[in-house]
Amino acid sequence: MQYALLVYEDESVFGPGKSGPKLQEIAGRHMAFSRELGARRLGGAGLKATSSATTIRTTKGKQSVHDGPFAETKEQLGGFYLIEAADLDAALELARRVPLAEDGAIEVRPVHG
Amino acid sequence: MSGAALDRVFREASARIVGALAARFRDLALAEDACAEACARALEQWPATAIPDDPAAWLYRVAFRVALDSTRRSRTQQRFASILQEAECSSDAEVEDNHVIPDERLRLIFICCHPAVSVDARAALTLRLVCGLSTQEIARAFLVPEVTLAQRLTRAKQKIADARVPFEVPGPEHWAERIDAVLSTLEVAYAKAHEDGAGTGVHAHYAAEMLALSQTVARLLPREPEALALAAIIQFAEARRPARVSADGEMVPLSEQDPRAWDRALIESGRHYLARAIQTDPARPRVIQAQIHRCWCQRRSLSEAAPWPEILELYDRWVATRDSPFVRLNRAVVVAEVNGPLAALAEVDQLDGEQLANYAPYHAARADLLRRAGNSGAARSAYDQAIALVTTSAEHAWLVARRDGLEP
Repeated sequence: MQYALLVYEDESVFGPGKSGPKLQEIAGRHMAFSRELGARRLGGAGLKATSSATTIRTTKGKQSVHDGPFAETKEQLGGFYLIEAADLDAALELARRVPLAEDGAIEVRPVHG
Repeated sequence: MSGAALDRVFREASARIVGALAARFRDLALAEDACAEACARALEQWPATAIPDDPAAWLYRVAFRVALDSTRRSRTQQRFASILQEAECSSDAEVEDNHVIPDERLRLIFICCHPAVSVDARAALTLRLVCGLSTQEIARAFLVPEVTLAQRLTRAKQKIADARVPFEVPGPEHWAERIDAVLSTLEVAYAKAHEDGAGTGVHAHYAAEMLALSQTVARLLPREPEALALAAIIQFAEARRPARVSADGEMVPLSEQDPRAWDRALIESGRHYLARAIQTDPARPRVIQAQIHRCWCQRRSLSEAAPWPEILELYDRWVATRDSPFVRLNRAVVVAEVNGPLAALAEVDQLDGEQLANYAPYHAARADLLRRAGNSGAARSAYDQAIALVTTSAEHAWLVARRDGLEP
């Protein structure tokens, strides 16, 4: 069964533009974690800061393009993993080990199909 | 067999059957539907063909075949291929020989109380699947409309299916927190039973279910001190039910209850469970809580002094083990008896008023202490706050009487 692990944390801990030593450090930890996952990792990526986001919103059939993420939130989506796990508990075990800089949340959502 | 006796057979068998099928087919919804189908067929056929010698075994056999057929027909047959194979190989032989339905109730309880299940659905789901209570009965106990409760149950079962919550007993790393989730769920469920002090209303049957459920959990987890302790707590509390409401429909506080009205057999049973809990680990919070109950239940008559000093010692141990505003509040009530209302008020004033703002006993305790300290004005307003928050008529009557008895 496939699950998405959505990584939420306050991206400001990584500084403006999400770069610098703190990001290097967490990127290294994510790479190590990806190696641990091995074949269980079906995909995933780290995302640039929400300042780089552009959003297309559809309202009543009309599309409009905006600068920024879909919503301003205290914690932002910073990356995701797509994993293979036998059941929710197995997925949760992996989610517990996803690296975070400080506080944050990993949302575990089953994939359709 | 009478209608009521048959009903009892269905209920008791259902929990075991749903558990056994869910374990075998890894699908809670499938298990529930198959069990319901078997019961429906029994209701149709038994009046005509006579009730089988072992009705539970009959139900299990039929439910198993229904589940098998349903799995074969299902669109997700691929996923179930290995399960199907396993089930087909062993099905007929094993189910025919098996008078004893595999007891998977522990797994059933753990899945109902899984962290992935919303907190307000856990108790309802447990009562539905493990106790076999109807949606209507549970809705009545929780004071919510039946349709709301039905939605809650549906959503919880959907979540279990969608996210594939496993039908397993947790491993050692998460055992302690998962046990605590189960016991907390039982406490929430029991709190509903406790509210009907007179025990003659719609909740009387419910209280009996809670007694049985807590004992079942204790028997399924015989080495868990807090599971044993919770069973003891519920037995002690139920033993005192006959004394909880006065003839005028007012709540009777614990220290004023006539011990001669208490059920000694239940108390004895509670002591037995508690003794085993203490043997395993006397320092756990619920074990200490059970000892507080036992201490009260040792009282033989109202002429005997209330055991306040001993109770205070136990509360001190409880706070040292697991500190919380609620435990401290209960402790303060005891402090008032041992060290006077002013000492107790000093303790209560240190508690987090915001966290306790919607907790009726907080305001009731404050009101009582303020009254005894001679501050009628503040006492009256505290009684008003408590009265606004209580949900049972017995508590309401008692608080109103106390407030109206204040010095103007």
